[in-house]
Formats: sequence, C-alpha cells, structure tokens
Amino acid sequence: MSERDSEAAPGPLGGVRVVELSETPAAAYCGRLLAGLGAVVTMVEPASGSALRRRGPVRGDVPDIEGGATHLHLNRGKRSLRLEIGSAAGRRLLDDLLAESDVLVIDLERGGWAGCGLQPDTILERHPILQVATITPYGLDGPKSWWRGSELTTYAAGGYLRIGGEPAREPVKAWGEQGCLQAGLHAALGVVSALYADCGGQRIDTAVYEAVAFLLGGGYQHAWFSDREPVRNGARLVGFGPGHLYPSTIRPCQDGWVHAHCNNRYPEAMAVLFDQPRLAEPDLLAALMGHADEVDELMAPMLMSTPRRAVVRRAQELRVPFTEVLAPSEVMADADGHHASRTFWQRTPHPRGGDYLAPGPAVRFGQTVWSDGEAPQLGQDNAMLGSPRELVRWRRAGVA
Amino acid sequence: MLPEPQLTPYADSPHRPLQGVRVLDLTTAVAGPVAALLLGALGAEVLRIETPWARPRHPASALDRFIGAKDEPWNREPRLNELANSKRSVALNLTTEAGREVFLDLVERSDVVLENFSPRVMGNFGLEWDVLSERNPEIIYVAMPAFGKSGPWRDRISYGPGIDAMSGLSWLTGYVDGGPLKPGNFYCDQNAGLTAALSTVAALLSRCRVGGQTVELAMLEGELQLIGEAMVGQQLSGREPARIGNEHSSAAPHGVYPTQPVLDDPDSWIAIACRSDDEWDGLLSVWCDEAVGCDRRFSTGLRRWRHRAVLDQRLAEWTQRWDPLELSDCLQQAGVPASPVMGARTLLRDEQVQARQSVGGLGHPQVGLSPAPQAAFRLSRTPAPPKNAAPLFAVDTVPVLREILGYSEERVAELLASGAASDRLRER
Repeated sequence: MSERDSEAAPGPLGGVRVVELSETPAAAYCGRLLAGLGAVVTMVEPASGSALRRRGPVRGDVPDIEGGATHLHLNRGKRSLRLEIGSAAGRRLLDDLLAESDVLVIDLERGGWAGCGLQPDTILERHPILQVATITPYGLDGPKSWWRGSELTTYAAGGYLRIGGEPAREPVKAWGEQGCLQAGLHAALGVVSALYADCGGQRIDTAVYEAVAFLLGGGYQHAWFSDREPVRNGARLVGFGPGHLYPSTIRPCQDGWVHAHCNNRYPEAMAVLFDQPRLAEPDLLAALMGHADEVDELMAPMLMSTPRRAVVRRAQELRVPFTEVLAPSEVMADADGHHASRTFWQRTPHPRGGDYLAPGPAVRFGQTVWSDGEAPQLGQDNAMLGSPRELVRWRRAGVA
Repeated sequence: MLPEPQLTPYADSPHRPLQGVRVLDLTTAVAGPVAALLLGALGAEVLRIETPWARPRHPASALDRFIGAKDEPWNREPRLNELANSKRSVALNLTTEAGREVFLDLVERSDVVLENFSPRVMGNFGLEWDVLSERNPEIIYVAMPAFGKSGPWRDRISYGPGIDAMSGLSWLTGYVDGGPLKPGNFYCDQNAGLTAALSTVAALLSRCRVGGQTVELAMLEGELQLIGEAMVGQQLSGREPARIGNEHSSAAPHGVYPTQPVLDDPDSWIAIACRSDDEWDGLLSVWCDEAVGCDRRFSTGLRRWRHRAVLDQRLAEWTQRWDPLELSDCLQQAGVPASPVMGARTLLRDEQVQARQSVGGLGHPQVGLSPAPQAAFRLSRTPAPPKNAAPLFAVDTVPVLREILGYSEERVAELLASGAASDRLRER
C-alpha cells in the first residue's frame, strides 16, 4: 500500500500514537502489530541503537545496525528517535513525547527503569490518559517478579517447553523467540482493549511466562482432574489417550516430510488415500492413537515412494488435510503461487541498496488498511524533537 | 515439597473493556474458540451458536474420559469446556430457513460475527458478507480461514498443526540432530485466536469512522509474522536457517538439564541461559567447581560456545543432584536466568501462578471447579479475567430468543418444535 493510499484509508488505529522502548522481540512485536494496524509508533533508542538492531543475520556477515534481519522485520513502519533517557534532559524530552502520545510500550529490564523514572505508576501520575504497557518475564507482582528471564527460561516457566520433543530426550522448545512474540501479541490486545474501554490511562502488565502458559490450553484440565502430566510424543500431538484420532504428526516421504492429519469427521478416508483397507477397520478407527505405530507403518510405503507435493495434492482431493513441511526458502519460493496471488510478500528497500521480501499483512480489513513500510534508520526522526537549534544543543549535550 | 494444586475462583469484574459488545460465535476446533473466549473475557457477550444435534466430542480433547458422571457427557468434555468459557450457548440449525432467519435477526442486534470455516461454508449457509451487512451495516465480520479467502490454496483444508508445517516453523523446530517437530500442540491456533481477537477490537475501534467491515485472518499469514526474521535472514545470508534446539546462536551454556524428580516424576529438568560473562560468573558462584572455573576451554564466551557439548555434559552432572526450584532460586539470586521446566501439574502448584492467578478457577454446574488460564495482560482499571465456565449445551437458546430478539412464547415454541432452534441436544 502506498503512503498516499494509507492516508486515504488509514488503518483501524489511525490517529493513535505509540512510544516504544524495546530491547526484546516482545515490545518490538507489540509495536509492529500496532503499527500494522495504523498507529504511529515511535521507537526511542539509546545512542547505540536498540539491542534488536545488533541481531543477525546481516548481508555479507558484516555487522550493520541498519541491516539485521530482526530489525528489518519487527521494526517496519516505525519511526526512530535517538534519545538518551538516562539523562535528565533526555527524560524531559521523553516526557514531552509521552504528553502527546496515547500508548507507551516498554520491555526494558526492570532494573533499567528505576534510574529513568519509568515506573508505570509514576508515568501514569504525570500522564493520566496514557496506556502504559509493560512486558516483563514474570509480571510486575508476585514472588518471582524479580526473576530474570530469557526466551528459554520463560518458555520453561510457562510449561510449553515441557511438551516439545522426544519422550526419551530432553524437552526442546519451538524455534525462535515465540514466547516473547506471544507476549507482544497479548500486550497489543491489552492495549487496544484499554483504548476501547476509554476510561483513562491504565497499567497493562504483561508477563512473558503467562503468554507461554496460555498456550498450554487444555493441559490444565488434564492436570487438575487427573494429576498426571502428559508425556512428550515426538512429532505427534501430546496428551491424548488411545481413543483419540490419529494421525496428526510429521512423517518422512520420498523427498522430505509431510504433516499427516486425518479428517476428523471422516478418518476412514485415510484407507482410500493409502490404499490400505486396514485403515478403515472398526477396531483401528475406534482407537487410532492407540494404533499410532501401526498407522505410521501403513502410511510408509506410499509416503516413501511418492514426492510430498503429490502426497498432499492427492490427500487434499480426498479432503484429508495433509500439508507439506516447508523450509523457509521453500515458503518464499511459493511453488504454487499462493502467496503471490495474495501479494503477501512485500518487496522492501534494503538500507544498503537492493531490496528484500518481508511478510505482508497479518490481517486484511475490508475498509481500512494494514500498514507495512520500512524499518527506520537510527535517529532518522530526531527532527520531530524540536527546532534545528535545539537539536544542535541536545546533540552537543549528548542527549539526542 | 510442593503444595497441593490450588485454584482460586476468578472474581467478577464489573468494568470490562468490551462491555456492551455482542459477538456471534460460529467457530469450531481451536483457533476460533480461543478468539471468542478472549473477547468474552474482555466483556463481550459471546453467543456460541451450536448445531442442535451435535456438541461433538471435541477432536482435541486431552482426556479419554469425560469428567464425573456419564449423563450428559457433552457437558463434561474437558477440552471443550476450557475453550467455551466466558460464552453463552445457543443452538440453531442454520441449514433451515427459519434457523437462518433467527441468526440474521441476531446479526441485527450484534456487533461481531466470528467464523473459522473453510471459505465456501458461509456461502452454503447463505450468510456471506453482503447478506450480513445488508441486515446490519455496522457489523464486523471476522473470518479465520486456514490459507485465506483467495489464492490457489483457498479451498485446501488444514488444522493448525498443518499450518505450522506450511509456514516453515515446523521445519525450523527440533533437535540439532533431528528432524522437524511441531512447535507445540496447537501453536498456530492459539496465535490465530489472539491475532483475531486483536483485529476484532481494532475494527470495533474504527467503527465510528468506517462502519462495519470484513476482517480476514488467514492463519498461515498470522503465523508467518512469527518467523519473518528467519525469512528475511535467509535472504540476507543466503543460508537456510538451521534447527538449533535449545541452543543459543552464540552463547553457552544455554539449555535444559536433568534434575532430581519433582512430584516423583523422573522427567524433571531445569532451563539455564548464560548469555554473558556476568551470567557465567553468576553460574560459577553457585556451581563452585574449581576445575570448571579454571578450564581454559570455558574462559571466554566464544570458547564456551565452541566447547558447549562438554560444558553441557559437566553441567548436567551437577544439576542432576539438585531440586530444580531450589537451584533456580539460587541461580536467580546470582543473576542467572533459570527456571524449572514447568508442566501443568507444577504450574497449578506454583506460587507465582497463584499470586497472579495466571490459572484460576471457574465453577461449572456439572463438573465443579475447573481451571482456565487467563490472558497474559492485567488491565488495572478494567480487569478482564475469564467470566464464566462453559455453558451447558443450548442453555441460553430460549433466554436469547425471548430477551434479545423479543420473540413471543408461541414463536419460540414453534422454532423449538420445528428443530430450527433447540434447547437440548437432539438426534440428527
């Protein structure tokens, strides 16, 4: 969407101004979602830039704070102010910025707030209509609120790490920083809900471990009523008894892997797909999960002699929801042209020349637009802080 | 010794953000119900529209038994009960003209229609956007198709775990020396549910400006936001990102290590993340192993990372003598991020979970107090914890027809008799 179009049909959060102080993907993703929904999101960064700018990969393996993959993805469509909030003058400028804003999103380590006067209650006293969203590993209260967190340890603390991997090995977490990203998503939902409530500024206290714990879903009912813990199950679904449907698993095939899943309404269609009448016999259908190893064996001859695209095509024709397991490069290659037909991947200028493809809209609105844009260069929007003379003064003082 | 599991019942919240919003929830499986329960907890009145002859056994049920007595098992299904909290239950047969007309009357008095069918289904019901918006121009119509409402994969079907495979996330998830794994049981569904709830509230915020509108959340496109870094990185470096398990790309030790059993469970572990020299020094201050502290292989961050296999082995020999909670507490005091690898059983006994009520209780009329997690944010002025336990099947059909739609007793009786609406589970 061009800038002109964006002005003609702003996003649903058009007119909302957000200040983002981020050093993990949590606040950065929260800001990215709010920017995508049309808010003006301004990152306030230290002189060295946000920690996220120093994450690779980068082009040619040359360190580049403008060209790291995390920055280029999560900070698209935002503004950047280079401002030392550790100094009194810097805090005054931040205060001026907050006075004109609707939302503050912050995930700095709590130890870093105190010296900067950024405790949520203090901010709300000065800015009573500001929505103050904090994202911390364990939340702002409770006996573990002082605990430090990393992606791995909060993933463990939220219970989702435990279910990943093989039963005879250590648990293994999902790739990337999914716990932080989920926390950013929760925080964004908290922010828009507070804006909708329209009853003045609120504290929006988000805990990363709780975003992870929310993923566990039905596990709590299982534990409460049985006091048992589910056993890791490799690529199969975890925590289901022998009477549950199967497959929902990842299986090797001739040229890679497929995600195998029966149609929950018509599990017997698997017999047709694999030309294995046994897959429609009543004793097996009554306890598919209990026969998981046998089902895997029955699927193997066809899978190991058939390319995955052909497996998936035939399965989908029978309304059996198999999908391919794609590597990132294969997702981008888009062999069927699905993403291209939806203009999902957005060609975006790289700050050092050339361009790259970045993910497009998370959601598509009928009347308002999703905003993408480019990731900002460090301090590119400092001019909004004041007159050229003031900027020179602040630069000399090391404030901005 | 951990205490017994505890569930504190959620307190009612009189000022929820979406008070006054009504949502018609046509969703099934996991992703859509997650979106709807979040909107319900936020204060919306969510009417779960159910098919009169089926509250089927939920395909994602974690237990192979229903809770408690055998009567009305459809009201005792744990996974469904967890996903139906904060909602009301109305049974309508949308394949009949009369049932469809009731639904459209509800559309006139509602703010949001939420569905996660494959794209052709709403058309089969004759409930496309044009029809809905003609009855209520202010309606927000949220659709959550797997792959989107257009494109070559439009009519493909998939549950959430199949989308994890198509997004690249399954390919990236797994042990360094293993094949691809799921990133969790229903990760894509949970992500899509949250993103749909976010988009719905955003659309409600813009309604005074643009009126009603469609909101299309393709589950695949929602998940691709979560691995954009891998996609962009792959283009910049020219290299396919690799599975790295629990490892860090440049720091060690960073992993999961065995411990003493918790609750007699030998499957007990601790996660430890040392990403800097300070955190390494903190670990050494608790570990107190002179041989490790003096070992040149571990003297710098880069060396520790290069020799991480032997370091992990040494660390595991030490951690397996510890209780994971006690060791986590010691390491945290030394400034090292560490946590027991929790499970639902230990979370229900955890002091932080209790203090923040991360998982609280809802009183269900048939199965009693049941656990439900709440969203990870706490709103200081408009708290929004889960509102009510899952409704009994069709318990709200008659009240909704009478009170929201203002139908006469005779008309309600006629709808129940014809099967267009139902106040109990029926045979098909």
